[in-house]
Amino acid sequence: MAASAPFASVSNRLLDRLSREDRTRVLESCEAQDLEFSQVLAQPGDAMEFAYFPTGSFISLLVPMGSQSALEVSLAGNEGFYGVPLALGIAISPVQALVQGSGTAWRISAARLRREMARLPGLRDCIDRYIHVVMSQVIQTAGCTRYHLIEQRLARWLLMTADRAHRPVVPITHEFLAYMLGVRRVGITEAALALQARGLIAYTRGVVTIVDRRGLERAACPCYRLDLANYELAFQ
Amino acid sequence: MPSAQQNHLLEALSAEELLRLRPRLEPIVLAAEEVIYEAGRPLEYVYFPTTCIVSLMYGLEDGSSAEIAVVGNEGVVGVSLFMGGASTPSRAVVQCAGEAYRLPGPLIMEEFTRGGPVQHLLLRYIQSLITHMAQTAVCNRRHAVDQQLCRWLLLTLDRLTDMEIAMTQEHIASILGVRREGVTEAAGKLQKAGVIAYRRGQIKVLDRPKLEALSCECYEVVRKETERLLPWVPPH
Repeated sequence: MAASAPFASVSNRLLDRLSREDRTRVLESCEAQDLEFSQVLAQPGDAMEFAYFPTGSFISLLVPMGSQSALEVSLAGNEGFYGVPLALGIAISPVQALVQGSGTAWRISAARLRREMARLPGLRDCIDRYIHVVMSQVIQTAGCTRYHLIEQRLARWLLMTADRAHRPVVPITHEFLAYMLGVRRVGITEAALALQARGLIAYTRGVVTIVDRRGLERAACPCYRLDLANYELAFQ
Repeated sequence: MPSAQQNHLLEALSAEELLRLRPRLEPIVLAAEEVIYEAGRPLEYVYFPTTCIVSLMYGLEDGSSAEIAVVGNEGVVGVSLFMGGASTPSRAVVQCAGEAYRLPGPLIMEEFTRGGPVQHLLLRYIQSLITHMAQTAVCNRRHAVDQQLCRWLLLTLDRLTDMEIAMTQEHIASILGVRREGVTEAAGKLQKAGVIAYRRGQIKVLDRPKLEALSCECYEVVRKETERLLPWVPPH
Protein backbone atom coordinates (compact mmCIF):
# COMPACT_ATOMS: atom_id res chain seq x y z
CA MET A 1 0.00 0.00 0.00
CA ALA A 2 1.49 3.26 -1.11
CA ALA A 3 -0.76 5.64 0.81
CA SER A 4 -1.87 4.84 4.30
CA ALA A 5 -5.54 4.90 5.23
CA PRO A 6 -6.71 8.08 7.00
CA PHE A 7 -7.92 6.17 10.07
CA ALA A 8 -4.85 4.10 10.77
CA SER A 9 -5.03 3.33 14.48
CA VAL A 10 -7.09 0.68 16.21
CA SER A 11 -7.97 2.64 19.30
CA ASN A 12 -11.12 4.75 19.23
CA ARG A 13 -10.33 8.27 18.05
CA LEU A 14 -13.15 9.91 20.00
CA LEU A 15 -11.96 8.37 23.26
CA ASP A 16 -8.37 9.25 22.32
CA ARG A 17 -9.36 12.90 22.30
CA LEU A 18 -10.42 12.86 25.95
CA SER A 19 -8.06 13.76 28.77
CA ARG A 20 -6.41 10.73 30.32
CA GLU A 21 -8.57 11.12 33.40
CA ASP A 22 -11.84 11.34 31.44
CA ARG A 23 -10.87 8.47 29.18
CA THR A 24 -10.15 6.23 32.16
CA ARG A 25 -13.53 7.10 33.64
CA VAL A 26 -15.38 6.31 30.42
CA LEU A 27 -13.49 3.07 29.89
CA GLU A 28 -14.33 1.99 33.42
CA SER A 29 -17.99 2.15 32.34
CA CYS A 30 -17.32 0.19 29.16
CA GLU A 31 -16.87 -3.47 28.45
CA ALA A 32 -14.86 -4.91 25.57
CA GLN A 33 -17.01 -6.63 22.96
CA ASP A 34 -16.37 -8.61 19.81
CA LEU A 35 -18.82 -7.70 17.11
CA GLU A 36 -19.51 -10.24 14.38
CA PHE A 37 -19.88 -9.46 10.69
CA SER A 38 -23.59 -9.12 9.74
CA GLN A 39 -24.72 -8.89 13.37
CA VAL A 40 -27.76 -6.61 13.61
CA LEU A 41 -27.47 -4.23 16.57
CA ALA A 42 -30.86 -2.63 15.98
CA GLN A 43 -33.78 -2.55 13.59
CA PRO A 44 -35.77 0.65 13.05
CA GLY A 45 -38.01 1.14 16.07
CA ASP A 46 -35.95 -1.08 18.39
CA ALA A 47 -35.04 0.06 21.88
CA MET A 48 -31.32 0.83 22.18
CA GLU A 49 -29.64 -0.47 25.29
CA PHE A 50 -26.02 0.14 24.40
CA ALA A 51 -23.75 2.52 22.55
CA TYR A 52 -20.48 1.35 21.02
CA PHE A 53 -17.09 2.96 20.50
CA PRO A 54 -15.68 0.78 17.72
CA THR A 55 -11.97 0.02 17.84
CA GLY A 56 -11.48 -2.68 15.22
CA SER A 57 -15.10 -3.14 14.11
CA PHE A 58 -17.32 -0.83 12.08
CA ILE A 59 -21.05 -0.39 11.93
CA SER A 60 -23.26 0.60 9.03
CA LEU A 61 -26.44 2.66 9.52
CA LEU A 62 -29.09 1.84 6.95
CA VAL A 63 -32.49 3.28 6.14
CA PRO A 64 -34.65 0.46 4.71
CA MET A 65 -36.37 1.14 1.37
CA GLY A 66 -39.03 -1.58 1.25
CA SER A 67 -37.88 -5.09 2.14
CA GLN A 68 -35.41 -5.67 -0.68
CA SER A 69 -33.28 -2.60 -0.52
CA ALA A 70 -31.78 -0.04 1.82
CA LEU A 71 -29.57 2.99 1.77
CA GLU A 72 -26.48 3.34 3.90
CA VAL A 73 -26.52 6.85 5.36
CA SER A 74 -23.59 6.62 7.76
CA LEU A 75 -20.69 4.36 8.64
CA ALA A 76 -19.12 4.36 12.09
CA GLY A 77 -15.69 2.90 12.73
CA ASN A 78 -12.96 3.78 15.19
CA GLU A 79 -13.16 7.42 14.08
CA GLY A 80 -16.64 7.57 15.56
CA PHE A 81 -19.32 6.10 17.69
CA TYR A 82 -22.57 4.16 17.35
CA GLY A 83 -25.41 5.47 19.50
CA VAL A 84 -26.20 9.00 18.30
CA PRO A 85 -29.88 8.73 19.39
CA LEU A 86 -28.78 7.79 22.92
CA ALA A 87 -26.44 10.76 23.01
CA LEU A 88 -29.41 12.92 21.99
CA GLY A 89 -31.60 11.52 24.76
CA ILE A 90 -33.61 9.11 22.59
CA ALA A 91 -33.67 5.37 23.28
CA ILE A 92 -35.20 4.17 20.01
CA SER A 93 -33.18 3.49 16.86
CA PRO A 94 -34.54 5.14 13.71
CA VAL A 95 -32.31 3.01 11.45
CA GLN A 96 -30.99 -0.49 10.96
CA ALA A 97 -27.54 -0.87 12.51
CA LEU A 98 -25.51 -3.62 10.96
CA VAL A 99 -21.98 -4.73 11.80
CA GLN A 100 -20.14 -4.32 8.54
CA GLY A 101 -16.68 -5.24 9.77
CA SER A 102 -16.15 -7.71 12.59
CA GLY A 103 -13.81 -6.70 15.35
CA THR A 104 -13.62 -5.11 18.74
CA ALA A 105 -15.60 -2.27 20.29
CA TRP A 106 -16.09 -0.68 23.70
CA ARG A 107 -19.70 -1.08 24.75
CA ILE A 108 -21.41 1.24 27.23
CA SER A 109 -24.96 1.02 28.56
CA ALA A 110 -27.44 3.78 27.76
CA ALA A 111 -27.73 4.79 31.41
CA ARG A 112 -23.96 4.98 31.93
CA LEU A 113 -23.45 6.91 28.72
CA ARG A 114 -26.06 9.43 29.84
CA ARG A 115 -24.42 9.74 33.23
CA GLU A 116 -20.89 10.13 31.90
CA MET A 117 -21.98 12.66 29.28
CA ALA A 118 -23.61 14.74 31.99
CA ARG A 119 -20.50 14.53 34.18
CA LEU A 120 -17.78 14.95 31.61
CA PRO A 121 -18.09 18.07 29.42
CA GLY A 122 -15.15 16.78 27.37
CA LEU A 123 -17.12 13.67 26.40
CA ARG A 124 -20.24 15.69 25.62
CA ASP A 125 -18.22 18.04 23.40
CA CYS A 126 -16.50 15.19 21.60
CA ILE A 127 -19.73 13.33 20.88
CA ASP A 128 -21.53 16.53 19.81
CA ARG A 129 -18.80 17.17 17.28
CA TYR A 130 -19.17 13.64 16.01
CA ILE A 131 -22.95 14.12 15.69
CA HIS A 132 -22.17 17.15 13.52
CA VAL A 133 -19.95 14.87 11.39
CA VAL A 134 -22.79 12.33 11.07
CA MET A 135 -25.22 15.04 9.96
CA SER A 136 -22.73 16.22 7.37
CA GLN A 137 -22.32 12.63 6.20
CA VAL A 138 -26.08 12.13 5.85
CA ILE A 139 -26.42 15.40 3.92
CA GLN A 140 -23.50 14.48 1.65
CA THR A 141 -25.01 11.04 1.06
CA ALA A 142 -28.37 12.50 0.01
CA GLY A 143 -26.70 14.45 -2.78
CA CYS A 144 -24.35 11.61 -3.62
CA THR A 145 -27.01 8.93 -4.04
CA ARG A 146 -29.01 11.19 -6.26
CA TYR A 147 -26.42 12.65 -8.55
CA HIS A 148 -23.32 10.47 -8.62
CA LEU A 149 -22.71 7.45 -10.80
CA ILE A 150 -22.73 3.98 -9.27
CA GLU A 151 -19.05 3.58 -10.13
CA GLN A 152 -18.14 6.74 -8.18
CA ARG A 153 -20.34 5.73 -5.27
CA LEU A 154 -18.86 2.23 -5.18
CA ALA A 155 -15.33 3.69 -5.13
CA ARG A 156 -16.34 6.03 -2.30
CA TRP A 157 -17.87 3.20 -0.32
CA LEU A 158 -14.83 0.93 -0.76
CA LEU A 159 -12.51 3.70 0.46
CA MET A 160 -14.71 4.51 3.47
CA THR A 161 -14.88 0.86 4.36
CA ALA A 162 -11.18 0.13 3.88
CA ASP A 163 -10.36 3.12 6.11
CA ARG A 164 -12.44 1.65 8.91
CA ALA A 165 -11.21 -1.90 8.33
CA HIS A 166 -7.60 -0.62 8.53
CA ARG A 167 -6.71 -2.74 5.55
CA PRO A 168 -7.29 -2.65 1.78
CA VAL A 169 -9.30 -5.87 1.71
CA VAL A 170 -13.10 -5.74 1.94
CA PRO A 171 -15.12 -8.96 2.07
CA ILE A 172 -18.43 -8.17 0.39
CA THR A 173 -20.84 -9.68 -2.14
CA HIS A 174 -22.38 -7.81 -5.06
CA GLU A 175 -25.83 -8.55 -3.65
CA PHE A 176 -25.01 -6.88 -0.41
CA LEU A 177 -23.36 -3.89 -2.09
CA ALA A 178 -26.48 -3.46 -4.21
CA TYR A 179 -28.67 -3.67 -1.09
CA MET A 180 -26.67 -1.04 0.75
CA LEU A 181 -26.20 1.40 -2.09
CA GLY A 182 -29.88 1.03 -3.04
CA VAL A 183 -29.17 0.00 -6.65
CA ARG A 184 -29.73 -3.08 -8.81
CA ARG A 185 -27.20 -5.88 -8.58
CA VAL A 186 -26.32 -5.67 -12.25
CA GLY A 187 -25.35 -2.03 -11.75
CA ILE A 188 -22.85 -3.03 -9.06
CA THR A 189 -21.41 -5.81 -11.19
CA GLU A 190 -20.84 -3.39 -14.08
CA ALA A 191 -19.27 -0.78 -11.82
CA ALA A 192 -16.98 -3.33 -10.13
CA LEU A 193 -15.88 -4.68 -13.50
CA ALA A 194 -15.11 -1.16 -14.70
CA LEU A 195 -13.00 -0.40 -11.61
CA GLN A 196 -11.26 -3.75 -12.03
CA ALA A 197 -10.55 -3.13 -15.71
CA ARG A 198 -8.87 0.15 -14.74
CA GLY A 199 -6.60 -1.76 -12.37
CA LEU A 200 -7.98 -0.07 -9.24
CA ILE A 201 -9.49 -3.09 -7.49
CA ALA A 202 -9.38 -6.86 -7.75
CA TYR A 203 -12.54 -8.82 -7.07
CA THR A 204 -12.49 -12.52 -6.36
CA ARG A 205 -14.99 -14.75 -4.61
CA GLY A 206 -16.66 -12.16 -2.41
CA VAL A 207 -13.51 -10.21 -1.55
CA VAL A 208 -12.61 -6.81 -2.97
CA THR A 209 -8.94 -5.82 -2.74
CA ILE A 210 -7.93 -2.22 -3.34
CA VAL A 211 -4.96 -2.40 -5.68
CA ASP A 212 -4.43 1.27 -6.46
CA ARG A 213 -5.65 3.47 -3.63
CA ARG A 214 -4.74 6.81 -5.21
CA GLY A 215 -6.45 5.78 -8.43
CA LEU A 216 -9.55 4.70 -6.53
CA GLU A 217 -9.64 8.07 -4.75
CA ARG A 218 -9.63 9.76 -8.15
CA ALA A 219 -12.41 7.45 -9.34
CA ALA A 220 -14.57 8.21 -6.29
CA CYS A 221 -16.94 11.17 -6.20
CA PRO A 222 -15.72 14.22 -4.22
CA CYS A 223 -17.93 13.03 -1.32
CA TYR A 224 -15.16 10.78 0.00
CA ARG A 225 -12.71 13.66 0.29
CA LEU A 226 -15.36 16.03 1.64
CA ASP A 227 -16.32 13.58 4.38
CA LEU A 228 -12.71 13.43 5.53
CA ALA A 229 -12.39 17.21 5.38
CA ASN A 230 -15.60 17.61 7.42
CA TYR A 231 -14.23 15.28 10.06
CA GLU A 232 -10.95 17.17 10.32
CA LEU A 233 -12.79 20.49 10.49
CA ALA A 234 -15.12 19.31 13.24
CA PHE A 235 -12.22 18.13 15.40
CA GLN A 236 -9.53 20.67 14.63
CA MET B 1 -44.96 40.26 15.45
CA PRO B 2 -45.80 36.75 16.64
CA SER B 3 -45.04 35.76 20.20
CA ALA B 4 -42.11 33.53 21.11
CA GLN B 5 -44.65 30.84 21.93
CA GLN B 6 -45.33 30.46 18.23
CA ASN B 7 -42.13 28.51 17.90
CA HIS B 8 -42.80 25.14 19.51
CA LEU B 9 -39.25 24.65 20.78
CA LEU B 10 -39.41 27.96 22.62
CA GLU B 11 -42.94 27.20 23.70
CA ALA B 12 -41.78 23.95 25.30
CA LEU B 13 -39.40 25.86 27.60
CA SER B 14 -40.41 26.58 31.15
CA ALA B 15 -41.55 30.10 32.06
CA GLU B 16 -38.27 30.64 33.87
CA GLU B 17 -36.12 29.71 30.89
CA LEU B 18 -38.24 31.70 28.50
CA LEU B 19 -37.97 34.69 30.79
CA ARG B 20 -34.19 34.40 30.69
CA LEU B 21 -34.08 34.06 26.90
CA ARG B 22 -36.81 36.47 25.91
CA PRO B 23 -34.82 39.73 26.16
CA ARG B 24 -32.17 38.18 23.94
CA LEU B 25 -34.53 36.88 21.26
CA GLU B 26 -34.52 39.29 18.36
CA PRO B 27 -37.59 39.27 16.10
CA ILE B 28 -36.73 39.33 12.42
CA VAL B 29 -38.66 39.25 9.14
CA LEU B 30 -37.30 36.97 6.45
CA ALA B 31 -38.10 37.38 2.76
CA ALA B 32 -38.73 34.47 0.40
CA GLU B 33 -35.57 33.08 -1.18
CA GLU B 34 -33.36 34.99 1.26
CA VAL B 35 -30.22 33.02 2.08
CA ILE B 36 -29.71 32.71 5.84
CA TYR B 37 -26.54 30.64 5.67
CA GLU B 38 -24.14 29.60 2.97
CA ALA B 39 -22.63 26.14 3.36
CA GLY B 40 -19.20 26.20 4.94
CA ARG B 41 -19.52 29.76 6.27
CA PRO B 42 -19.33 30.54 9.97
CA LEU B 43 -22.68 30.87 11.72
CA GLU B 44 -23.50 33.95 13.75
CA TYR B 45 -27.08 33.26 14.81
CA VAL B 46 -29.56 30.47 15.22
CA TYR B 47 -33.11 31.12 14.01
CA PHE B 48 -36.34 29.94 15.57
CA PRO B 49 -38.99 30.27 12.82
CA THR B 50 -42.46 31.31 13.89
CA THR B 51 -44.30 31.96 10.62
CA CYS B 52 -41.53 31.50 8.03
CA ILE B 53 -40.32 28.19 6.60
CA VAL B 54 -36.67 27.51 5.82
CA SER B 55 -35.21 24.91 3.46
CA LEU B 56 -31.90 23.28 4.29
CA MET B 57 -30.23 22.53 0.97
CA TYR B 58 -27.27 20.37 0.13
CA GLY B 59 -24.99 21.41 -2.67
CA LEU B 60 -22.54 19.32 -4.64
CA GLU B 61 -19.32 20.60 -6.18
CA ASP B 62 -20.88 20.63 -9.65
CA GLY B 63 -23.65 22.94 -8.45
CA SER B 64 -26.45 20.37 -8.16
CA SER B 65 -28.57 21.14 -5.18
CA ALA B 66 -31.78 20.04 -3.47
CA GLU B 67 -33.59 20.27 -0.17
CA ILE B 68 -32.45 17.89 2.57
CA ALA B 69 -34.84 19.09 5.29
CA VAL B 70 -37.42 21.76 6.00
CA VAL B 71 -37.57 23.76 9.22
CA GLY B 72 -40.59 25.70 10.43
CA ASN B 73 -42.10 26.58 13.78
CA GLU B 74 -41.27 23.09 15.14
CA GLY B 75 -37.53 23.70 14.99
CA VAL B 76 -34.41 25.79 14.85
CA VAL B 77 -32.05 26.64 11.99
CA GLY B 78 -28.32 26.44 12.67
CA VAL B 79 -27.91 23.42 14.92
CA SER B 80 -24.27 23.06 13.80
CA LEU B 81 -23.49 26.10 15.90
CA PHE B 82 -24.02 24.39 19.23
CA MET B 83 -22.85 20.99 18.02
CA GLY B 84 -19.34 22.31 17.69
CA GLY B 85 -19.46 22.53 13.90
CA ALA B 86 -19.04 26.34 13.68
CA SER B 87 -20.03 26.20 10.02
CA THR B 88 -22.93 24.34 8.48
CA PRO B 89 -22.74 21.58 5.87
CA SER B 90 -25.95 22.82 4.25
CA ARG B 91 -27.29 26.07 2.87
CA ALA B 92 -30.38 27.60 4.52
CA VAL B 93 -32.82 29.40 2.23
CA VAL B 94 -36.16 30.96 3.17
CA GLN B 95 -38.86 28.96 1.44
CA CYS B 96 -41.91 30.87 2.64
CA ALA B 97 -41.53 34.45 3.84
CA GLY B 98 -42.40 35.16 7.43
CA GLU B 99 -41.04 35.83 10.87
CA ALA B 100 -38.50 34.22 13.13
CA TYR B 101 -36.58 34.90 16.32
CA ARG B 102 -32.84 34.87 16.20
CA LEU B 103 -30.36 34.37 18.98
CA PRO B 104 -26.62 35.17 18.76
CA GLY B 105 -24.30 32.15 18.61
CA PRO B 106 -22.51 32.67 21.93
CA LEU B 107 -25.88 32.85 23.74
CA ILE B 108 -27.19 29.59 22.34
CA MET B 109 -23.82 28.00 23.13
CA GLU B 110 -24.13 29.21 26.70
CA GLU B 111 -27.67 27.82 27.00
CA PHE B 112 -26.67 24.54 25.42
CA THR B 113 -23.63 23.95 27.62
CA ARG B 114 -25.67 24.85 30.70
CA GLY B 115 -27.31 21.45 30.15
CA GLY B 116 -30.80 20.94 31.48
CA PRO B 117 -34.08 21.42 29.61
CA VAL B 118 -32.79 23.70 26.82
CA GLN B 119 -30.10 21.20 25.88
CA HIS B 120 -32.56 18.33 26.18
CA LEU B 121 -35.03 19.97 23.75
CA LEU B 122 -32.34 20.92 21.25
CA LEU B 123 -30.88 17.40 21.28
CA ARG B 124 -34.27 15.81 20.65
CA TYR B 125 -34.81 18.23 17.79
CA ILE B 126 -31.46 17.22 16.27
CA GLN B 127 -32.49 13.56 16.29
CA SER B 128 -35.71 14.43 14.47
CA LEU B 129 -33.68 16.46 11.95
CA ILE B 130 -31.24 13.60 11.30
CA THR B 131 -34.14 11.19 10.71
CA HIS B 132 -35.77 13.72 8.40
CA MET B 133 -32.52 14.10 6.43
CA ALA B 134 -31.91 10.36 6.13
CA GLN B 135 -35.46 9.85 4.84
CA THR B 136 -35.01 12.63 2.27
CA ALA B 137 -31.87 10.85 1.04
CA VAL B 138 -33.95 7.70 0.51
CA CYS B 139 -36.80 9.64 -1.10
CA ASN B 140 -34.45 11.41 -3.53
CA ARG B 141 -33.07 8.09 -4.64
CA ARG B 142 -36.28 6.15 -4.77
CA HIS B 143 -39.38 8.17 -5.55
CA ALA B 144 -40.87 9.87 -8.61
CA VAL B 145 -41.26 13.66 -8.81
CA ASP B 146 -45.05 13.27 -8.44
CA GLN B 147 -44.69 11.61 -5.05
CA GLN B 148 -41.90 13.91 -3.92
CA LEU B 149 -44.03 16.95 -4.71
CA CYS B 150 -46.86 15.55 -2.55
CA ARG B 151 -44.45 14.84 0.32
CA TRP B 152 -43.00 18.32 0.04
CA LEU B 153 -46.42 20.04 -0.07
CA LEU B 154 -47.49 18.13 3.06
CA LEU B 155 -44.33 18.95 5.00
CA THR B 156 -44.79 22.61 4.04
CA LEU B 157 -48.50 22.66 4.94
CA ASP B 158 -47.71 21.24 8.38
CA ARG B 159 -45.63 24.33 9.04
CA LEU B 160 -48.17 26.86 7.79
CA THR B 161 -51.34 28.14 9.40
CA ASP B 162 -53.44 28.06 6.24
CA MET B 163 -53.76 25.77 3.23
CA GLU B 164 -52.15 28.15 0.76
CA ILE B 165 -48.50 28.12 -0.26
CA ALA B 166 -46.99 31.14 -2.05
CA MET B 167 -44.39 29.62 -4.31
CA THR B 168 -43.48 29.56 -7.99
CA GLN B 169 -42.93 26.30 -9.82
CA GLU B 170 -39.34 27.37 -10.58
CA HIS B 171 -38.65 27.66 -6.89
CA ILE B 172 -40.24 24.29 -6.11
CA ALA B 173 -38.15 22.73 -8.89
CA SER B 174 -34.96 24.18 -7.41
CA ILE B 175 -35.93 22.89 -3.96
CA LEU B 176 -36.66 19.38 -5.22
CA GLY B 177 -33.60 19.47 -7.47
CA VAL B 178 -35.60 18.59 -10.58
CA ARG B 179 -36.42 20.33 -13.87
CA ARG B 180 -39.26 22.85 -13.86
CA GLU B 181 -41.15 20.80 -16.49
CA GLY B 182 -41.23 17.90 -14.04
CA VAL B 183 -42.91 20.07 -11.39
CA THR B 184 -45.32 21.59 -13.91
CA GLU B 185 -46.38 18.14 -15.04
CA ALA B 186 -46.74 16.79 -11.49
CA ALA B 187 -48.67 19.87 -10.33
CA GLY B 188 -50.88 19.63 -13.45
CA LYS B 189 -51.86 16.07 -12.49
CA LEU B 190 -52.67 17.11 -8.93
CA GLN B 191 -54.76 20.02 -10.19
CA LYS B 192 -56.67 17.79 -12.60
CA ALA B 193 -57.39 15.35 -9.78
CA GLY B 194 -58.85 18.19 -7.72
CA VAL B 195 -56.15 17.95 -5.05
CA ILE B 196 -54.67 21.42 -5.51
CA ALA B 197 -55.51 24.64 -7.29
CA TYR B 198 -52.56 26.50 -8.75
CA ARG B 199 -52.50 30.05 -10.03
CA ARG B 200 -49.90 32.78 -10.28
CA GLY B 201 -47.44 31.45 -7.72
CA GLN B 202 -50.13 30.36 -5.25
CA ILE B 203 -50.83 26.73 -4.48
CA LYS B 204 -54.03 26.04 -2.61
CA VAL B 205 -54.49 22.54 -1.22
CA LEU B 206 -58.12 21.47 -1.66
CA ASP B 207 -58.00 17.82 -0.65
CA ARG B 208 -55.42 17.03 1.99
CA PRO B 209 -56.40 13.36 2.58
CA LYS B 210 -55.97 12.68 -1.13
CA LEU B 211 -52.61 14.46 -1.12
CA GLU B 212 -51.50 12.16 1.69
CA ALA B 213 -52.67 9.12 -0.25
CA LEU B 214 -50.67 10.20 -3.30
CA SER B 215 -47.47 10.92 -1.36
CA CYS B 216 -44.71 8.37 -0.85
CA GLU B 217 -44.42 6.86 2.65
CA CYS B 218 -41.59 9.31 3.43
CA TYR B 219 -44.07 11.92 4.64
CA GLU B 220 -45.60 9.50 7.15
CA VAL B 221 -42.18 8.34 8.36
CA VAL B 222 -41.02 11.90 9.01
CA ARG B 223 -44.34 12.97 10.55
CA LYS B 224 -44.45 10.01 12.93
CA GLU B 225 -40.85 10.50 14.01
CA THR B 226 -41.49 14.20 14.61
CA GLU B 227 -44.55 13.32 16.67
CA ARG B 228 -42.59 10.78 18.71
CA LEU B 229 -39.50 12.92 19.24
CA LEU B 230 -41.18 16.30 19.64
CA PRO B 231 -44.42 15.41 21.43
CA TRP B 232 -45.04 19.04 22.32
CA VAL B 233 -45.61 20.02 18.67
CA PRO B 234 -49.39 20.13 18.11
CA PRO B 235 -50.59 17.56 15.53
CA HIS B 236 -52.15 18.62 12.23
